[in-house]
Amino acid sequence: MILAARQKLRLRFRDLAALSSFVAVAITGVMPIWTTVIFSVAFLLSFFGKRPLSGQRVWSVILLLGIAAVLFFLAFRGGLDLIIAAVSFASLVTAHRLLAEPDAATAHQVLLSSLLLVSGAAALSGEIWYAVCLFFFGVFACLSLGLMAVEGPVERDEPMPMRPVFRQISFGVFLALVGGIAFFFLFPRLSWNVAARRATPGLLGGTTGLSDRVSLAGGGSLKTSARVVLRVALEPDPRIESLDFYWPGRRFSLFDGKEWKGNGEAQRVEYAVTTTTQIARKQLTQRFELLPAYDARTMVALETVISFRNAVGLSAAGSRNIGIQRVTDEEVRLAEDATAYSYTAASAEIPLLANEEERALNLELPNTLDPRVAQLASQIVGTETDALKKAQRLERWLKENLSYSLDLGEQPIDPLAEFLFVSKQGHCEHFATALAVLMRSQQIPSRVVGGFFGGQRVSEKYAIRAGDAHAWVEAHLDGQWIRFDATPESFRSGTPGQLMAALVSLWEAIEDRWRRNVVDFSIVDQADFVKSLIRPPKNGVPDEQSSARTSFDVTPRKIIYALVLVGLGWWLRKRLKKKIKKHPATLFHDAVISKLQQHQMTFAHTGIEEISNELNQRQLPSAPIVSRATRRYLENRFSNIPMNQEESAALLKSLDDALQTKSMPQ
Amino acid sequence: MSSFTDRFLKNARAPRHLSITRVGKIFLVVTLGIGLGALNTGNNLLYLVLGFLLSVIVLSGVLSERVLRDLSVRRLLPSTARAGETFRLRYEIRKQNGTAFALKISEHKSTLNGFGWVPHFDSKEEFVASSNMSTDVRGPLEMKFIEVSTFFPFGLFEKSRIFDVSDMMLIWPKRGFSCEAPTESSAQHAGVNGMARFRDGAGDLAGLRPLRVGEDARRVHWKKSASAQTLLRTERERDDRKQFRLALDESNPLNLERSCEESATLCESLIEQGHEVGFSTSTAVMQPAAGAAALKKILDMLAWAGFSK
Repeated sequence: MILAARQKLRLRFRDLAALSSFVAVAITGVMPIWTTVIFSVAFLLSFFGKRPLSGQRVWSVILLLGIAAVLFFLAFRGGLDLIIAAVSFASLVTAHRLLAEPDAATAHQVLLSSLLLVSGAAALSGEIWYAVCLFFFGVFACLSLGLMAVEGPVERDEPMPMRPVFRQISFGVFLALVGGIAFFFLFPRLSWNVAARRATPGLLGGTTGLSDRVSLAGGGSLKTSARVVLRVALEPDPRIESLDFYWPGRRFSLFDGKEWKGNGEAQRVEYAVTTTTQIARKQLTQRFELLPAYDARTMVALETVISFRNAVGLSAAGSRNIGIQRVTDEEVRLAEDATAYSYTAASAEIPLLANEEERALNLELPNTLDPRVAQLASQIVGTETDALKKAQRLERWLKENLSYSLDLGEQPIDPLAEFLFVSKQGHCEHFATALAVLMRSQQIPSRVVGGFFGGQRVSEKYAIRAGDAHAWVEAHLDGQWIRFDATPESFRSGTPGQLMAALVSLWEAIEDRWRRNVVDFSIVDQADFVKSLIRPPKNGVPDEQSSARTSFDVTPRKIIYALVLVGLGWWLRKRLKKKIKKHPATLFHDAVISKLQQHQMTFAHTGIEEISNELNQRQLPSAPIVSRATRRYLENRFSNIPMNQEESAALLKSLDDALQTKSMPQ
Repeated sequence: MSSFTDRFLKNARAPRHLSITRVGKIFLVVTLGIGLGALNTGNNLLYLVLGFLLSVIVLSGVLSERVLRDLSVRRLLPSTARAGETFRLRYEIRKQNGTAFALKISEHKSTLNGFGWVPHFDSKEEFVASSNMSTDVRGPLEMKFIEVSTFFPFGLFEKSRIFDVSDMMLIWPKRGFSCEAPTESSAQHAGVNGMARFRDGAGDLAGLRPLRVGEDARRVHWKKSASAQTLLRTERERDDRKQFRLALDESNPLNLERSCEESATLCESLIEQGHEVGFSTSTAVMQPAAGAAALKKILDMLAWAGFSK
């Protein structure tokens, strides 16, 4: 590969390293749009070999300083987070350098500012995408630096085979990445605390979110979304693959014929909210992580919730404790806005007590209600007088006579009548609304509940997807709220495509490992890891403490042993395989020197040229032969004039004869 | 005593020398900053970046060691070298195992400036690296150590290895300005083949050229000069030459370098003109002779002037 092609390749690697570092911050979604636009334009120009700032150093630096001043002003005024301002500036410096002269110094500057960008991204993000970007940054930066190192201080327009260079640098990059992981696990942590978790909105934005109303006009496209919106760890862990749990979030009592609304009154903000005074012996603790895709402040928890506490809001600026606010019986919500949240809830198998004052409210029907609805309810319940049995009949009838569909076409004027009497197909909100209205028409107080249904196990936690969003009904019977769900069982949780669901689950599993082993890796984990390496369990039986982490303890040791064995085998193979192949001229050179040494001839120099000169000065009989041999050696070695074996043998024989002559007694 | 000192210095010398390049220094500062940030905040992703950077530092040491290991090197000396001018010094380098990358070969503890560069070579072959060297110092140049260094793999550090390879090379005096041309009285006409009757040259007429100031008027070709309206002199196959006997002025040791340069320039000029030059120093005498061999001998004598063999 010639110099121009090598330079182009090196610059491409440099540009890709810069791009990887920028993507690491861009995917957090917190960068100002104009920064992203400037960097993208700079990257594209540089990648296609256009560098307009080349030779415009002064003006471009003044412009850059101006932008720095603006960023500083924004950060000073509180309009921009300081870290985001710093990262924005680093990305602009990188863009500036990308468009400057493509020399070695500029390449170093690009890579160093990209390294600062990567470090800034580490302070903003905890996502696994960061690891992917870091990987690509490492690979491209090392390749670029490696090519620069091999090119040397003086660039020469000579062809250079790239394969051995790439092989060696790639090997180096691989070792650097493996070494980086080893350092990560073994570098001593000097603080007990893991850094405050941060969360960024990402590029996709929110997917779901419990709205303050349930509208029948809404489509059901959400049900096919495989995106995970919350994770929850349960204690005690049920250890089953998929849950058939209801996760209520918000309750709606007011129906106007088209949509449901809540009627709650916000109460004061507290840091722990208890929702019942009932005493429960066995509680199920749930530790929730509401992801940026959740995009709402409504807190969900399993029925029946006893308390909410430890609410933390996560944002790009860090994490902070936030308050919890109860909105009477409608919902419990987080008091402040943040990108993501975490909190703890406790639930128990106790009845959800109903307030008698709520009866009247939950019996209200809209004036515009189609009279056929009440007739239908009467027809379904028939002569049944027991409220519970009436409710069950209504639920069963809806399940058996109406079908589930997400393809609903245009919005009708009366969606409920359309669902019950015309199309006879709808999604969970239609089923829930129909059941609640049919119950109310039979004087059974009822309300619609919005939340999630299901949960799939991913490592030690359960993931709930956007498609698991669901609506059902609670009926006020015998002083307590009893759940009814008219939606067919197979359509209650999300219905994403199989492949998409599998991919998202795999991704979620990888992310979970990433979070546990990297983002939340603490000094305690490190101590356990090192202990497992240096002190294996006695008699192969792990002690009680480490038994819970058996898979974590044994695997690294095995991996290390395997790596050592592979390395040893590779080294031995190389040692046995490699033999130096000398140039024929060098073999001839060595033979000449050896012949001279055999005849006890000593010289002040070691090179054949100097030895030849010395022999000529001493006027020895062997001098002409050695001169000729020297000339042929130099011709063969440096001018590629061939010397066959016969010629070299003849010269050596002549030399031998000449040396014998010298040795013979006069 | 000196051999003891040499042995001591040889044993006391570190097997490898490490220096940090400019970008390497910035890299270390950034690494330190990220390390402090990681320790201060406990941010695991910063620890991950720090781990990668530390790994790059360690790997630089390991891979550069692989490059410098199993190397052997020797000089291929040039036939002539002049102070103040570049000359090509070649190094033959071999490696028993593996591949070497980004090697810089130079003289260690020497007045020679310059280096040879080897982008990469494999153990299956031997490599000859050329370097453009220069020095300002005349005389016998002792070269004891060859320094082989590498920037591989990332150009952050320069690791060097010193080889004990002793050689000696004569550096001829600088090409300088000769203030005084030798007087006519110091010259003796030798004639062609030393015969006085061929003082104006011998052989066929080779050409005509304008007569210069101070040249013998007997060489004028009058007929051609008349037709050309300017004085033209003849040049023959074997032109006439003079014998000069010059001596190096060693009276003032402080002016020795200048004397050597002047003598070298003068001798070179005279021999180029085809004259015979004899030369003497305080330690050696050379009878008048012409040609490149004579010039080489004179320059060798000048290189040794002030030094003992």
